[in-house]
Amino acid sequence: MNTLDLPLREQAAAIAAGDADPAELLAAALTRIEQRNPAINAVVETFPERSREMLDAAPAGPLHGVPVVIKDEWPLPWRAQRFGAVELLAPTAPGESGPYRALRDAGAVIAGVGNMHELGAGSTGNISFYGPARNPWNTDRCPGGSSSGPASAVAARLVAGAVGADGVGSIRLPAAYCGLTGLKPTFGRSAMEGHHMAAVTSTIVSGPLCTDAADCRLLGSALFGEELAAGDAVGLRIGVVRDTVSEDVAPEVRDACEAAIEALRTETGGEVREIALADIEAAALAAVLIINTESLGGVAPERLNRLHPDLSPLNRGFLKYRMLLPAAATVQASRVRTLMRRRLAALFEQVDAIAWPTVAAVAPPLEAPLVELPSGTLTADQANVRGTGLANLTGIPSIGAPVGLSSDGLPIGLQLQAAWGRDELLLDAAEALERANGRRWVEALPPLAEAAPTEA
Amino acid sequence: MEATDRAAEFIPAGLASLGIEADEVDLAVISAAHQMFWPAIRDLLSLDVSGVEPERCPDLSRAP
Repeated sequence: MNTLDLPLREQAAAIAAGDADPAELLAAALTRIEQRNPAINAVVETFPERSREMLDAAPAGPLHGVPVVIKDEWPLPWRAQRFGAVELLAPTAPGESGPYRALRDAGAVIAGVGNMHELGAGSTGNISFYGPARNPWNTDRCPGGSSSGPASAVAARLVAGAVGADGVGSIRLPAAYCGLTGLKPTFGRSAMEGHHMAAVTSTIVSGPLCTDAADCRLLGSALFGEELAAGDAVGLRIGVVRDTVSEDVAPEVRDACEAAIEALRTETGGEVREIALADIEAAALAAVLIINTESLGGVAPERLNRLHPDLSPLNRGFLKYRMLLPAAATVQASRVRTLMRRRLAALFEQVDAIAWPTVAAVAPPLEAPLVELPSGTLTADQANVRGTGLANLTGIPSIGAPVGLSSDGLPIGLQLQAAWGRDELLLDAAEALERANGRRWVEALPPLAEAAPTEA
Repeated sequence: MEATDRAAEFIPAGLASLGIEADEVDLAVISAAHQMFWPAIRDLLSLDVSGVEPERCPDLSRAP
């Protein structure tokens, strides 16, 4: 097998053992990006000289010599982030962001920058300054967002791991659409320095996107600056909520997630408990209001009269609409945050993890990102935030893992959420889920990645 | 007055009061966003959280 097709941890192990040459691995990654990326537009920039310089200087860390992709949300010493947009309202400059330092210090090599939904303001990835990223499972479908490029890149096996950011689901949603495992860490545990909203955000975190949980543990450990120790999830108490978030979903998504929850219960020797958690949709809206308010940070209204003409019409309009959001709603959102944090603290005395579908329906078409649900047709953004906003609002960690394929061959994802600081438990649970289904879904390859490799 | 009529007045008036210029495309997008968000915002505002004691400077990395 080509070393590039190995999981992140096996690539690192092969290099450490002297069984793989990191320079050859980087060259293979760059070649594969050249070969496969035109179909998916996942990687928007490579810089082979910079990558080789990183490799030459790489310490003997846990990711020594392993190529990865980083989202266009983080500055690098040689490149300012563009946030998927022709311009940002916040000033940006090249620099050593926290995720960059974490990768560098772990010995990783940044092979390229991943595409993202313009300004992070969407869950589909269909709008970007660079053009939309595409889903390797079906290039007419959305890869998810806003970490669209990192997810698409890993799913297409351009690299084995990528760094994304998650403010209202932006790691878990593309993980679900692309059949990956993605960890949204507990707020504050992962590297955030250098993000243009680092000083004001109360929802955004950096996190790993990989094929499976063990790789998320490895890459996550680098981002956390501490080892995310492996344990087990024996006796896992799984909470399920019979509410819109688990009921108003496409039937095959619901079936796959329910089967996965039962398989996880069996694998861990645990139990499934029905729990009550009211106002999940209010919590999702609260998260949206808070991130939108925080992202305004110091923008003078007249600045909005000088928006770049190439900014998408949707974001031009929405940036202006943000100015009309009532302050009372944001204050109310803060109250809902407190309410939900207290409710979750009480619930996590009864259960270890709360499970529901990451997304209500599989990846929608790029041209019209709408989803058909039992309640009717919704925009994907409307449907997606329902399931992911709670973790960002409250600060709890959450992981998305693949649990099946739809009848038309698109990934289905399950989300697990745990109490603050229990990121490791989520990784343990996701690994248990992989064992329960024989690693079938984490090893499933999209058609684009099944193409016969031509590189060495 | 219908909600859409009120929105048709509120949006341009609100933008104008802030000195924000908006063309037809902007207004169409804003109107669509408003129709999507406003009912949910009203629901949020009507949620009774009067008994919820605010967290002062919440540490989101920990349980409350």
